[in-house]
Amino acid sequence: MSDVKKVAVKKAVASVKLPTISPRKIRLAAFLAVMGPGIIAGLSDDDPAGITTYSQLGARYGYRLLWVLVLSTIALILFQDLGARIGVVTRQGLIGLVRQKYGARSGVFSASSLILANIGTMTAEFAGIAAAGQLFGLSKYISVPIAGILVTFLVLRGSFGRVEKVFFLLSAVFLSYVLAGILAHPNWGKALHGMVVPTMPFTKDAIFIATATLGTTLAPWGLAFIQSYSVDKRLTRDDLRLLRVDVWTGSLLTGIIGFFVVITCAATLNRQGIFNITDASQAAIALKPLAGTLAKDLFAVGLVGAALLAASILPLSTAYSVSDLTGRPAAINDGYAEAPLFYGTFAAITVISAILVLIPGAPLITILLWTQVLNAVLLLPLLCYMFGIARDKRLMGEYSATRTMQTIYTVIIAMVSVCIACMLWFSFH
Amino acid sequence: MKTPAVPAINTVAKRIVGRRDSVLARKSIRDSLVSVAGLIGRPVRDDAGRDLGKLVDIVVRHGEETYPAVSGLIVKVGQRTSFIEGARISKLTKDEIRLSSTKINLQEYTRRPGESLLNADVIDHQIVDVNGLRVVRSSDLYLAPLDREIRLVGVDISFVSFLRRIVPGTIRRRPTPERVVDWATVASLTDSTGEVRTSGPRSALSRLRPADLADLIEDLVGREQGALIELLDPDLAADVLEEMEDEDLLGLLRGLSAERAAELLGRMEPDESAEVLRDLDEEHRESILNAMAHETANSLRLLVTFDEALAGGVMTTHSVICHEGDTVAEALKLLVKNRARDVSDGVIVVDAKGKLLDHIQMIELVSTKSSAVLSTLIGPPFPTAVGINTPLDEVIEEFSNNRGSSIIVIDETNKPVGRIMADDLVDALVARTGRRGFAQGSGALT
Repeated sequence: MSDVKKVAVKKAVASVKLPTISPRKIRLAAFLAVMGPGIIAGLSDDDPAGITTYSQLGARYGYRLLWVLVLSTIALILFQDLGARIGVVTRQGLIGLVRQKYGARSGVFSASSLILANIGTMTAEFAGIAAAGQLFGLSKYISVPIAGILVTFLVLRGSFGRVEKVFFLLSAVFLSYVLAGILAHPNWGKALHGMVVPTMPFTKDAIFIATATLGTTLAPWGLAFIQSYSVDKRLTRDDLRLLRVDVWTGSLLTGIIGFFVVITCAATLNRQGIFNITDASQAAIALKPLAGTLAKDLFAVGLVGAALLAASILPLSTAYSVSDLTGRPAAINDGYAEAPLFYGTFAAITVISAILVLIPGAPLITILLWTQVLNAVLLLPLLCYMFGIARDKRLMGEYSATRTMQTIYTVIIAMVSVCIACMLWFSFH
Repeated sequence: MKTPAVPAINTVAKRIVGRRDSVLARKSIRDSLVSVAGLIGRPVRDDAGRDLGKLVDIVVRHGEETYPAVSGLIVKVGQRTSFIEGARISKLTKDEIRLSSTKINLQEYTRRPGESLLNADVIDHQIVDVNGLRVVRSSDLYLAPLDREIRLVGVDISFVSFLRRIVPGTIRRRPTPERVVDWATVASLTDSTGEVRTSGPRSALSRLRPADLADLIEDLVGREQGALIELLDPDLAADVLEEMEDEDLLGLLRGLSAERAAELLGRMEPDESAEVLRDLDEEHRESILNAMAHETANSLRLLVTFDEALAGGVMTTHSVICHEGDTVAEALKLLVKNRARDVSDGVIVVDAKGKLLDHIQMIELVSTKSSAVLSTLIGPPFPTAVGINTPLDEVIEEFSNNRGSSIIVIDETNKPVGRIMADDLVDALVARTGRRGFAQGSGALT
């Protein structure tokens, strides 16, 4: 043996140099940069509901309420970041963690909130698909069932991974709002003023649209999704830095696209005196400065892409969260008999939302807005639970929220509460 | 999430309840089960039946016994939360707790080592179901009188029992013994300090296959992963580590102390340890290596430096090397001494300068007179040997040409430095061709 050891020592001197970055790190970085969960969530936030809400914000109030979007984006960044951190550190999904920390009733309550909010958002996705179909003269009774079946088939057959990129590219069409916004010659001074100086017309409508903006930007499903994602992919603390870059990028992207949608609508619709959008074709007009007569098509393509992207992830993420409540996150590779709750949730979300949209004479734009208000209301308990988990030293250890961050989270939660309280006050007066 | 196919929970429960050594099989125990979730919030009364307060939590003491005994109650008296010693309990039913005296010494509860709070630390937390081979959440816990104490005897992991708890009224207090699993067949891994709080499952866990244990560990949370490893016999733990996915293993090592990590890595096959160490950052790697025995650390340091695509990167340094002048008896003695190291197929024979001469099979050794000198056994067939910098492709080529179970690795002066076993090659091939590095997970979330 001793001879061998001598050789060993000699060889060690002439050692091959060690790799400094593991290949996995590079792969992960590349993946997150292109298609990370933060970016997926970010682009899915600019779904039909998002675009419609932002369009309404711009059409009705011009640049005045841009600050609501700014604050919502900041809240989105901070809470998505928190969700990623909780997922990586605790390696448990949000709903399972709420059950562990707050008990059975809270667990069921948070899961129910999430299901309700997600049925709402899923309805909005289908409404978006219906609206896009109508731009081409396609009846919603055809477009919505097709979309529902397509999404279910893709996800359950496991081919979603491949098609996802297509949806992703389609929804990237909304980046054209950035160009459209510039070409529409917005009043930059007013935009800047609207961003930093909060003014609020104290009317039911303004409060309503501000709440919807908050609900569509900081969507409950996104928070649960980012956390489940890091648990499911077994991301470790070492991956956290990359994941945070991804989450920040995705959240900022939501805000930036939202910003340009608002100023485009402010510079076109609002200036032309169109204050209320009643169907998708009016929202498409905002793209005219960029695409001219193509505006309608471009808008429809983006709407369908974002809707399908979100509609694929939403039922999946919800089913994952709900089965997390049982203590055993089920997944696609389980059979129907093994994971009834998983598939039950999946089916319920898809079917209920499709039916809601298909009710004859359902006002699509109103549905889109209302679902986002619902999102904001149901967001509140989830934010509170996340805040509680964030400050729990036993769960989060060295990653628990600092005093400063706790104050910031409290301020955000307080603002969301005030917003909802105002809306409820108006609803009953 | 990767979960092995398991029988439905009822089947598991029945199987366990049906076991003769389970306390749940005793009718007296089954009939006296009290649901912990149902008991929380119920009144605590003195011997005269006057309300003292409401039950907040139940404290159990973990010791050598399989079923931990109740060591105290946490009770809300007025606005204060107080601790009452378990010895004071005279009667515990699903509706109330009676104490044995009127005079109660109310004291603050401070967590003591070896204790856990059933409501705060165990219910709704993750536990390992040893029979079902999976990580689950406990929906309810059951107490019953056993050996003159009130003990934690069962755990309920069904979702129906979980839903029962959100219903108001008496339904939530009704025990459902048909779904109860013996406490001895689960491992609860959390408490306030992160220490392991379990006793019975030690043996139950040890009966599992390393690959199954590895899957369980991969399903656990960071701190609990370490806790489960601590439960295992070190050799079994090392086997489990070898079965784990690289990413999970790295995560696990980060949670362990350098000493514990060194102990486990030292017990693993050197090529496997080297593979793990290669992926750690330098500081962490050195802290672990420094905590190892000098000799082991040095041979690992060497292995770590080799490129994974070359023979040196996949070889193991575990081998028994003898001189041509040694006798068969000495060779056999050396083999026996190293029996833990999976080198039992034979010895490598070298000349006076340490150069490779032959590999002599075990069967040859035992069928030869023990006083014979090894040099007399040298002869064809000669073992296959490759240089330390041979690319993996050529190693595979050699393997398939010779159909042996191992290949000897030599340096440029022909001295043997290690061996590549067939299973090492399988690992290397799998690492290369198969697993999609990042996009693992259940596939549930794209």
